Amino acid sequence: MTGTEVAAVGVVTGWGEGAAALPSDAVRAAAGRRVIAAARPPLVGERFRRATRECLLGVAAVEALLREANLEREEIRGCETALVYVTAAGYGAANHGFIVAGAARRDVGAGAARPEDSVGGLRKARAGAVASSTLHFPYTAPSAVPAEVAIEFGLTGPYVILLGGAAATIDGLWQATLQVGRGRCRRALVLAVETFSECEELWARGRWLLRPPLVESAACALLIPGPSRATYAPAPTESPLEALARARAGETLACAPLIALALARAGGGAGPFRLTGQWRGRRAGLTWEAH
Amino acid sequence: MNTEPVAIIAAGAVTPIGADLDAFWTGLVTGTDGVSRIERFPVGDLRVGLGGEIKKLKRERRGDCRASQLLFAAADDLRARASLGAPPARVAVVLGTALGGVEEGEKALAGDPSARRAAAALYDGPARALALRLGARGPVMTVSTACASGATALGVAADLLRSDAADLVVAGGYDILCRFVMRGFDALRSLTRDRVRPFDRRRSGLLLGEGAALVLLARDRDAGERRLGRLLGHASASDGAHVAAPDPEGRGLEWAIRAALAEAEVGAADIDFVSAHGTATPLNDRVEAAVLRRVLGACAERIPVNAIKGALGHTMGAAATLEAIMCLLASREGVVPHTVGLEEHDPECELDFVVTAPRAVRPRVSLSTSLGFGGCNAALVLEGDAR
Repeated sequence: MTGTEVAAVGVVTGWGEGAAALPSDAVRAAAGRRVIAAARPPLVGERFRRATRECLLGVAAVEALLREANLEREEIRGCETALVYVTAAGYGAANHGFIVAGAARRDVGAGAARPEDSVGGLRKARAGAVASSTLHFPYTAPSAVPAEVAIEFGLTGPYVILLGGAAATIDGLWQATLQVGRGRCRRALVLAVETFSECEELWARGRWLLRPPLVESAACALLIPGPSRATYAPAPTESPLEALARARAGETLACAPLIALALARAGGGAGPFRLTGQWRGRRAGLTWEAH
Repeated sequence: MNTEPVAIIAAGAVTPIGADLDAFWTGLVTGTDGVSRIERFPVGDLRVGLGGEIKKLKRERRGDCRASQLLFAAADDLRARASLGAPPARVAVVLGTALGGVEEGEKALAGDPSARRAAAALYDGPARALALRLGARGPVMTVSTACASGATALGVAADLLRSDAADLVVAGGYDILCRFVMRGFDALRSLTRDRVRPFDRRRSGLLLGEGAALVLLARDRDAGERRLGRLLGHASASDGAHVAAPDPEGRGLEWAIRAALAEAEVGAADIDFVSAHGTATPLNDRVEAAVLRRVLGACAERIPVNAIKGALGHTMGAAATLEAIMCLLASREGVVPHTVGLEEHDPECELDFVVTAPRAVRPRVSLSTSLGFGGCNAALVLEGDAR
């Protein structure tokens, strides 16, 4: 099986673009804010008019990756590029919107005297008209984000979507090493997107799961054939890179291992990398070592 | 990376046409219609209130979400047929789903303020719950390639075994019927008011269903004598064409099928049976039939094809695993179930469909195809154990 290497990592977070935008101490920089939101990327084009913010963040992360790698879009187009997408929360905003909008419509339909008398009021009913529409429902699927990315960049190769936090991203990186290593494709993108703003109240209920600040992020790593062999195994303890990513970026769930890779590369590290990621009691690890 | 076959030791299921694997198979070969009026939640405001609803579970446990209950029922069925004889840290769980715990999200937003409910809304919650119930402490993964999830999950599970990251994997798919998904497909006008008619000239859409399907996988060399069959090859691919519709050319599906066949080291001439995705939407079935004709070439004339969503409804994350299990049972029993709902052939979907009644053939190698929202495509190549 062919070895792999990480050729580039693109990062967009609520702190800004790239590893250089991350503060030295995320908790201090958050100054008590629970969520550090990432702005809706200003992507132009009719196709993006209906796309959700998380879809646009996914596209923005791949664009950041291309800039980092000095690659043209054409160089990743086609079936020789695998796309592995990971998220723990990236579907939350669309799901939340669709559920709340549906509830508002049902309230109106069930005979509230006026829309503004129904639960949540007129604003919710108006939002309902949009968010419960035919066009919104497909965006509630976790596959909507990678779909928009695949459409935008013309990616038609191997395709895997994993749900979970940082441990799932380790699983996703492992999947990417397999796809490249077995020769199914020449390169693999491992993309993660996490948003929190719309579901902030739900995340606040599960305080034991996450330590604030929750930092909205999108990150994408490019794997290509290379000299390193990846070893995938459970990890009993967190790696220094896992701790560094959390300290610098805050809680970024599935984006964390990719941000860790970006930090390692920004620090001049060419490997070996020992990455770990933890989610809901499970910690997975992936180590790239020279053959 | 080795591509050694992976043994499918046993299976378990809960479906609208049968509460366990045996009843599922009996339902398929007798042409049972699992579609009925949905009773578990209100559907009066929807255009279509029909679906493949499981009316009663053998053991319902208060406190577990419905998705977990379906998984537990399928797992009980599986464990009645095979034991998880490996150290817990070497047993993995890989599940596919399109919806995860979304119904718990609906409840969390409808006034249940508990932290437990909010956490259960995460899509990976049911897989974690199943791992806890099974005592599996290896990797726990949730795959969500929409309605192809149940196939992709089996592929990821095979990768875990081939990479020696686990010795046994409980893999499969599940999804439940809930207001969220019914409202969504109703808004898309994808649901038919007629019956589900895969590949039929009059087909007018799908109906949803619910279910859970699990298989127990092991490396072929470790599996011993008892097995349902083997997973020979798998691939998943992206269309990169549309968020909610298949690529009209079916390029992603074609790529996935060809890659799965290559991994299995079989050609079209080796395929004995095709289990098609067959949602009964006008576009899906036309695209799928065209891709199968392209890939199978002249062999398409003699390879029996069926689609079982006419009997079950579209069980989303469970669908591909149920269809894979059906392929293996067809090998074991020497009969291929017919395509419930297919009565008038569509000239645009010319394949050798099994219609009207089950066909007495004993397929050795089967191909199972799946498509889903987000341009997700997957293909499995399976070998039945006809001993």
